[in-house]
Amino acid sequence: MSNYLRFLRRCASVSLVGDWRYYTWIGALTALCIIGLNAYAKQVVAGLEITGMSDQVSWGVYIANFTFLVGMAAAAVMLVIPVYIYKNEDLHDLVIFGELLAVAAILMCLAFVTVDLGRPDRFWHLIPGIGVFHFPGSMLSWDVLVLNGYLVLNVYICGYLLYCRYQNRKPSKWLYIPFVFAAIVWAISIHTVTAFLYVGLGGRPFWNSSIVGPRFLASAFTAGPAFVILALQVVRRASGSAKAVELPVSEREAAEPHMIASRTATFEDLDRLAKHLPEVAAVSIEDRRACLVGATVLNASPGDVLLRQGALDNDAFFVLTGRVVVRRDEGGRTRITRNVGPGEQFGEVSAITGTPRVATAVAMKPSEVLCITADALRRLMKTPKMDEIISWRMGERLMISDRSLLILRAIVQVSMIINVFLLANELFTEFYNSNRHDISWRYLLFGLDGHHALVPWFWTAITLNVGAMVLLMLPLSRSLKWLNVACIMCIFGIWIEKGMGLVIPGFVPTPLGELVEYLPTLNETLVCIGIWAFGLLCFTILLRMAVPILQGQLTRATEP
Amino acid sequence: MPFDTEEDGMSRRSFLRTSTVLSAGVAAVAAGLAPLRKLGEFTSVDQFLQKYYKELTPQEMKTVLERIETEVQRQYGVRPHVRDYKPMNGVEYVYALNLTRCVGCRKCVHACVAENNQSRNPEIQYIRVLKMPNDGTFDMDKGDHNYAPKSVPEPGFFFMPVQCHQCKNPPCVKVCPVKATWQEPDGITVIDYNWCIGCRYCEAACPYFARRFNFASPSIPSEQLNTNMSYLGNRPRYKGVVEKCHFCIQRSRVGRYPACVEVCPTGSRKFGNILDPKSEVSYILKNKRVLVLKAELGTLPRFFYYFDI
Repeated sequence: MSNYLRFLRRCASVSLVGDWRYYTWIGALTALCIIGLNAYAKQVVAGLEITGMSDQVSWGVYIANFTFLVGMAAAAVMLVIPVYIYKNEDLHDLVIFGELLAVAAILMCLAFVTVDLGRPDRFWHLIPGIGVFHFPGSMLSWDVLVLNGYLVLNVYICGYLLYCRYQNRKPSKWLYIPFVFAAIVWAISIHTVTAFLYVGLGGRPFWNSSIVGPRFLASAFTAGPAFVILALQVVRRASGSAKAVELPVSEREAAEPHMIASRTATFEDLDRLAKHLPEVAAVSIEDRRACLVGATVLNASPGDVLLRQGALDNDAFFVLTGRVVVRRDEGGRTRITRNVGPGEQFGEVSAITGTPRVATAVAMKPSEVLCITADALRRLMKTPKMDEIISWRMGERLMISDRSLLILRAIVQVSMIINVFLLANELFTEFYNSNRHDISWRYLLFGLDGHHALVPWFWTAITLNVGAMVLLMLPLSRSLKWLNVACIMCIFGIWIEKGMGLVIPGFVPTPLGELVEYLPTLNETLVCIGIWAFGLLCFTILLRMAVPILQGQLTRATEP
Repeated sequence: MPFDTEEDGMSRRSFLRTSTVLSAGVAAVAAGLAPLRKLGEFTSVDQFLQKYYKELTPQEMKTVLERIETEVQRQYGVRPHVRDYKPMNGVEYVYALNLTRCVGCRKCVHACVAENNQSRNPEIQYIRVLKMPNDGTFDMDKGDHNYAPKSVPEPGFFFMPVQCHQCKNPPCVKVCPVKATWQEPDGITVIDYNWCIGCRYCEAACPYFARRFNFASPSIPSEQLNTNMSYLGNRPRYKGVVEKCHFCIQRSRVGRYPACVEVCPTGSRKFGNILDPKSEVSYILKNKRVLVLKAELGTLPRFFYYFDI
């Protein structure tokens, strides 16, 4: 117990420490939170009159954001499923980032629901056992249960896994695997239940369609992993400058003498590398010549150890052909942390920092590996492009590899195709017969009788979604730059599509045919910005605690 | 973010820095919350702790009614009579509205506002009258909600008032997460204004646009206050809760007609007990051509439209 409290205290104090960028970011988010809080205080005093909502359009941008964020929370499962069901090792360490995102997203969801309530003081009426809980009749009561349950599950799983990592202890399967599987089912359920909030309303034809649930899941599994792709790159960049681990002296071993056949490296080998790592082409002839001094090409057979955890040597390696795995021994268990293929590097951390090896590298297939000295690596990194790519990949200690980002890309890609396909299905059903049901769709897509507040928004969403889908299908988006563009398009496109684009047209026109439009007011927008800032603040702080633990820097061993 | 392993040692300087940051933070949050000073009486302790309507004992109900009378007196300077009118045995109310006769004068709308202490600003009305073209479509999307002619009726149009349909299968009751709205044995769907959390899910669920939300504190001129009040009916509402037509529970449950029925100059509005075969509404349902709005939704309204042939 006292161990656990010390763990929490250290996590808390870590979250208060960072460089100037961290302080600026945290400070700006806090300021936005307070602005949002101020706007909410004004709303409590004035009532919801201060928003753009009316009896005709009785839900607005609060519920729109809520709907979008439930999807973000549910999407954590798309990292969990590949790891726990398909045993994907690349994503193994990233699962926790998805779950932390889920925690932050659910906190935002709860905040958005709370600010939407006319009587927040009567919140206790919703608490089962104390208030009067209309279960299972009301879908909203289901939502209260599944959202809070999902929050508890994710807090527990993240907390337990991080604590075990901190203690350098193997997590007990019984204490988390059942919960992981419960969370998978739960994630699907939170978003399905949220869809049913709308689908269950027979008087609103725009929502009363069985395809809304599947559309919700497809769009969630697009926007969620897209956000994770961006967040992981920020983490990778921000943690790139962290100090490396210093292993205790007693655990250091002598380096195993390399018994692997080798030959001197040539310019041709660099050209072969450039095929997989185009940045090499930018290196000048002089630098290439300098970097070949002392460089060798190792012909490793499967099982050959290229470098050993704890060793003090400091060469850097690039794979030319074949495959190498990097594994790490932690607290009595061995885990594969990376699969390294042609064009990728390993061992560069020790080469740059001069610290002992933090992992062991073993050839899995017959492999050719270019081995260069630490000086040669520094020489290569004088070329800005090489510096950029190598520094980026230094995130290896966190195991955020480009390969794992590309797995997420595949998920976003497929989900977006399904999402656009389902939307097309919906549009066909509505418009082919042009019956009375399509009136909200006509309002959304073309406007009705001079009312067209949502038209530019929705066409923007369609453009972004279709654009992202095309971009994700092109090989172009295998480069991180274009992948990021596609991800941003996905997130904004879906935020519009299932936020405002889903909630507002359900109310326009009213069941009596009245056309009243809705636009959020400034105060309402400030409340939303405040909640988003609050969520990002939570996510940042959670990451600030989790990253050093995952990197092995914040452990019981480093307790003062 | 370089990881600082010296996070645990707290020097005098870092203590000063931390406390400065902390106090600045507290001051900023306090400044952010400053508008709450104008909140006034949002809720009292008694209101906050009040139990659910169906869980109140008769004695507790008495206390609650007296408290509400005091609250109303404090706000409006008039002491009302607030009672908890109970449904009568063997009674199920049904409403019938003659579309042939209605001229769209909206007298019902205003009688309703006066009888039921609806907020004048912001304006809340339970009855919405649609001016519909006589073009053979019966398309509500063509209805005019804001018609304002010099005199009614207008040739070429018919008028269709819509209010709560008191459904037998009410979607609004089904969706309420806290059971703050329910159907009474006499068919009236009521709301406990002290239990509603203001989520407005019922507004989204209602296919007849019958429900209204108090987006701001309701305001009623003191001299216009109807002091004959019922707990589930026309007592003044709170900011942030939902309200709607309740067939003038404070009148109908003592055998009087709702205000809209009484005021209608054309006799288009009929109200009565469907369980009584001799009642006017029983006659109409048996003998007239009757229309139910959005019958396909299966809400089974107790509000019928009929035609003179």
